[in-house]
Amino acid sequence: MPGGIGVTRNEQDDSRRLQTAQALVIAGLILYVPANVLPVMTMTVVGDVEPLTVLGGVQELYDSGLWPIAGVVFLASIIVPFCKLACLSWLLLMHGSPLWRRQRGALRRIVHIVGSWSMVDVFLLSILAAVGQLGVLSSVQAEPGGLFFAAVLVCTLFASESYNSHMIWRTREGVAA
Amino acid sequence: MSAPSIPLEKTPGWISCPECEAACRDRALPRRAALRCVRCGVQVRKETGARSFQPAWALATAGLLLVALANANPVLTFDVAGNTQSNLMVTGVLGLFDQGYWPVAALVFFAGIAGPALHLAAVWYVAAACCLGRRWPALRRAAKFAEVMESWNLVPVYAVATVVAVVKLDMLGAVAWQQGALWVLALSLCSLLVVQFFDRDLVERCLEELA
Ligand SMILES: [Zn+2]
Repeated sequence: MPGGIGVTRNEQDDSRRLQTAQALVIAGLILYVPANVLPVMTMTVVGDVEPLTVLGGVQELYDSGLWPIAGVVFLASIIVPFCKLACLSWLLLMHGSPLWRRQRGALRRIVHIVGSWSMVDVFLLSILAAVGQLGVLSSVQAEPGGLFFAAVLVCTLFASESYNSHMIWRTREGVAA
Repeated sequence: MSAPSIPLEKTPGWISCPECEAACRDRALPRRAALRCVRCGVQVRKETGARSFQPAWALATAGLLLVALANANPVLTFDVAGNTQSNLMVTGVLGLFDQGYWPVAALVFFAGIAGPALHLAAVWYVAAACCLGRRWPALRRAAKFAEVMESWNLVPVYAVATVVAVVKLDMLGAVAWQQGALWVLALSLCSLLVVQFFDRDLVERCLEELA
């Protein structure tokens, strides 16, 4: 908790937080498109070059019969970022409204906790990229999609940090009754 | 419950709700009972009884040791056509850096290596000070820092990513788990536990006593 709560409830600080969160969510929504369309990595297996998008990586796992793992990756790297962006957008659109405050607070908490699981794909990319140096026959090369994907995560992380739970309970006058 | 024109939460007997900042009237609670905010329903204070900081301190100490072990030992080895490579956690960061993806490398370094270390170090500092009853400098800031870094301690996520990575690498060549994987797993569990024992109410009360 920041110091001096209740002493100086700075409205300028509030609107700055709101604007930061809005800008980050909009940026996240825009970046979400290239993050999913562009390949995240190129896997070369015995001379066979294969660019993989996030969804392609899931598909590959599914095809090899490992559907529980495919399911986890699908949830963590496709569903979670999308839901996080959708939920944050909704929370920001509802800002200042007296409706469903408790539910919005609970949703924000869930989004904050679950959101970090999308890092699975970024960590995976890092582990696979380490193989990149290992000769010509098999290699893994990171591609721009990974950059966009990481950017989406950073945007949503800081957006939910910026639009903290106190913001839900604020009205134009300061604190809701 | 009405909006206070004077900061009620600063008056004795009143607490500010951590979720919505509403002023809640404090009262004596039976053991293990929780005071909930009237407005948002979040737990404001919990009567923890005689819980101490020793478990948090012990876990943070173990955690810091595990950070060292998890980073110093290879997590897996990968073998293609006689070329063997052992992968530390930092190997992936360097791999991404070498390929020119330094922002992604920085993110992995921060969330996988620096974040857990800083989180555990901050918990260790506050828990140790509370256990020993020492008024060390910047305790309140350290407690706040621990709270922020908690969401950046993503070792459990890293552990899941290693499992997926092993599955993927298995398609490319021969992959084998190494000792480091065990330390990463232990560190994940330790990080999850530390959060359970490092209770915000307890910290708050202890810092007030020390001040
Ligand atoms: Zn509340």
